[in-house]
Amino acid sequence: MSLRVLAPVTGSAVALTDVPDPVFAEAMVGPGIAVDPGRAAQAQVRAPVTGTVAKLHPHALIVLADGGRGVLVHLGIDTVELDGAGFTLHVSEQDAVTAGDVLVTFSPSSVADGGRSPLTPVVALDAAADALTVAVRPGDQVTAGEELFTWT
Amino acid sequence: MSQAEQILQALGGETNVRDLEACITRLRVEVDDPGKVDEPGLRAAGAFGVVVQGEAVQVVVGPQADTIAEDIEDLR
Repeated sequence: MSLRVLAPVTGSAVALTDVPDPVFAEAMVGPGIAVDPGRAAQAQVRAPVTGTVAKLHPHALIVLADGGRGVLVHLGIDTVELDGAGFTLHVSEQDAVTAGDVLVTFSPSSVADGGRSPLTPVVALDAAADALTVAVRPGDQVTAGEELFTWT
Repeated sequence: MSQAEQILQALGGETNVRDLEACITRLRVEVDDPGKVDEPGLRAAGAFGVVVQGEAVQVVVGPQADTIAEDIEDLR
């Protein structure tokens, strides 16, 4: 069954290979695409798929869809160093969520002001590179809740 | 040997590990001597990838990073 994976934030699409973090750029945890929220003062982070919040850190989360496919959303690069400052969580680990639900809010402009990239990679964990059909091209504007890729 | 023990050994043992924390899919480790880090050993212990930048070592282990980090902390 194919799984539609939605943009967690509004912004412009960026190829994963252009993310300034080798773990994402080299697709070590899986293929995907990133969204650049720019310098928005406030961004609502929406569930990319319907499922269970398997992991929840302030700056990163994994939603596990039915069938066990996990989608990782990482809010900015090296943002683990912020220790959660500036991130507001609206759900808890193990909560059931519907695609499009607001999970976290954060400030991309504050992340950028701190010298970090607010790029938000969306990764199909452990997927084969050819399992994704990408619905957007790098540079495209996407709105949170729009499809980024289909995972078959 | 458990996965946590294998990873700790491949990082050069507990005396080489200054700090270790989990970030959702990876272990972020600070080591005293990057020369003691055994990359093939880390991969053999299940790492998908290893990124070494000076004394900072990132071990990509997937979503079980939190659990593995706790297991390593228990060994230290």
